[in-house]
Amino acid sequence: MKHIKIFSIMLILAVMASATAFSQSKITVKGSDTMVILAQRWAELYMKNNPQTTIQVTGGGSGVGITALINGTTDICNASRPMKQTEIEKLKARYNTLGVEIPCAKDGVTIFLNEANKVTELTLKQISDIYTAKIRNWKELGGVDAEIRLYGRENSSGTYTYLHDEVVKADYASTVQSLPGTAAVVNAVKKDVNGIGYGGAAYAVGVKYAKVKKDESSTGYVPSAETIANNQYPITRYLYMYLRNRPTGETKKYIDWILGVEGQRVVTEIGYFPVK
Amino acid sequence: MKHHFCNIKNQVKLNLTEMKKLLAIGIFTVISIYGYSQKQVIDSLKEVIGNHEGKLNALDDRVLVNEGDLAKLNKIKVSGYIQAQWESYGADLEKTNGYSNTFYIRRARIKFTYEAADGVKFVLQPDFSTGNLALKDAYTVVNLPKLKNLTLWVGQMNRPNYDVEYSSSSRELLERARVTTTIYPGEREIGAKLEYNGIKIPVLLQVMMMNGNFTGTQAKDVDSRKDVMARFVYSVKLPAAGVGIDFGANHYFGSNLAKTNKYVKNSDGTLDSLNNAWRYLDKHWTGGEIRIYADVLGGMSIKGEYVAGINSVASTVASTATMAQKKASPNLYNNFAGCYITLVKNIGAKNQAVVRYDYYDPNTKLSGDAAGNAIYYKTWAFAWQYYLNDNIRLTAQYTMPKNETNASNPSDIKDNLFTIRVQAKF
Repeated sequence: MKHIKIFSIMLILAVMASATAFSQSKITVKGSDTMVILAQRWAELYMKNNPQTTIQVTGGGSGVGITALINGTTDICNASRPMKQTEIEKLKARYNTLGVEIPCAKDGVTIFLNEANKVTELTLKQISDIYTAKIRNWKELGGVDAEIRLYGRENSSGTYTYLHDEVVKADYASTVQSLPGTAAVVNAVKKDVNGIGYGGAAYAVGVKYAKVKKDESSTGYVPSAETIANNQYPITRYLYMYLRNRPTGETKKYIDWILGVEGQRVVTEIGYFPVK
Repeated sequence: MKHHFCNIKNQVKLNLTEMKKLLAIGIFTVISIYGYSQKQVIDSLKEVIGNHEGKLNALDDRVLVNEGDLAKLNKIKVSGYIQAQWESYGADLEKTNGYSNTFYIRRARIKFTYEAADGVKFVLQPDFSTGNLALKDAYTVVNLPKLKNLTLWVGQMNRPNYDVEYSSSSRELLERARVTTTIYPGEREIGAKLEYNGIKIPVLLQVMMMNGNFTGTQAKDVDSRKDVMARFVYSVKLPAAGVGIDFGANHYFGSNLAKTNKYVKNSDGTLDSLNNAWRYLDKHWTGGEIRIYADVLGGMSIKGEYVAGINSVASTVASTATMAQKKASPNLYNNFAGCYITLVKNIGAKNQAVVRYDYYDPNTKLSGDAAGNAIYYKTWAFAWQYYLNDNIRLTAQYTMPKNETNASNPSDIKDNLFTIRVQAKF
């Protein structure tokens, strides 16, 4: 009888402990600095309406997020570029899955110029030539006679990789000053009349957008809801969330919310563009 | 009275004038002193700013130099792993070895990768395991200009085969399948490889030209002909179902030089002789591979490969041997076949259960007593992996090889093996 009592108490305690454990769920999100303001806003709003859930958001860059996903130190990885084949192979080797890719917002990689800069438009080739130091002076682009100062992101950044793969298509010039985060790039360009930078559209405060055109004969566009939606803006990309396995439980609820009306409204509020 | 009043008035006027003068002198003095002190303060501030500016410029220069050095260091990547294990042997293995169990450093490797420029990589990987200092990898990878996904590899590297290329540090079982270790001894070869890794079309194409006789020690080829190996893999993704399938085929086309012995023993045991010595013996096989990844209650994969063909072995008898001796130790042709199928199931984020069945028959044309020692093996391997953290993995594996029995091998050899391995990876 005594044993039954002890067993019953232990069982009740175990049930209570597990109930407590399940009632407080924690989701960790790591990765893209471009997406960090969006992810933080999502987390804040979601936690407000779902106090039983804790969502911890950190940046570091898409590369850092993907490494964390492979190492198992994050539940969700935010990435401003698609995962590379080599990264998928690592995921396959460790978890025997291909990972789950969820496009959760759209963005136009924005070319930031100082507001005093006379240059307003750039072709994709000119952007490539600027970032490979083939074009070194604003005079060559119709601007003032001044050396172009290049600002960019660190190589762990998805935006760095995306621009490299899709636009620059060669080694970045050694004169590019690598800065930690798009906000730092915007800040540098804001202070530097001869500066140029790139990053997510949501960060462009106090600088001007360069119109981007595919080639000399095309029309130049700035990233906007319209030009992104109809793919007119030439450097349009998806922003992704990656998971190791198909989401379940609270993680699934959170992702469904992000892809729903409320989550996508936050995308627009922050300055990015909804997926649908 | 009036005069007195005037005098007083004049005196006051005089005093006021004096006071004004004094005040003016005072203000001037104060302003002068203040101005002087202000100038002094400004001068001293200028000096401080100048000093700081100099220091900042010097710091800036140092940061630039350090950034340059750091950029160079960032191009070097060092990784590696150590596999320390305890093995316990079956009775026959114990008799052969003279001990029933041992601690053992299976692999101790450091891999240095230097990314000289975008798309140019140098790789060097020695192995330091006890009594076995060996160069494993030494190659250069170059992205061919304007052909983004095409790379040229030159040096000593893995042969293009899934089981060979899948790193020992990631592999779910402790050793490769018997067929792989037999037809690709040492895994590496010296040669040149072209690899196309499609991004938009998920295709992997590999063609490698190599010496063809490498087992870990030969610095140069032993004959003039080069072996060629080609591999093709196509990947299909079904994201909605959480399934990915890689399937492909590979072919090896090579030869061995018979040198001074013209006798050849065929797979069926018949003895042939070449038209003359210094002829090449064929060595070729074809393989098919498939890997299925499925997100079913956590990750799961099934990996399989089948390979069959002809392998040849050049006679090692001395050129001065008699014809009878050469006839007794002829060159060999072996029709072989082998396969493996592995099931891997992730259980939570830290555990993994693995089962593999592998089969290898070194001579498919002969069986029973006629096969002699060229007997087939069917091996079951069961493993459990526990990932303690990003760096440490613990594995327990039980391997049960079962051999063909015949007059030369009347019973199943007691060569089961139990291993516990700790792998530290960085």
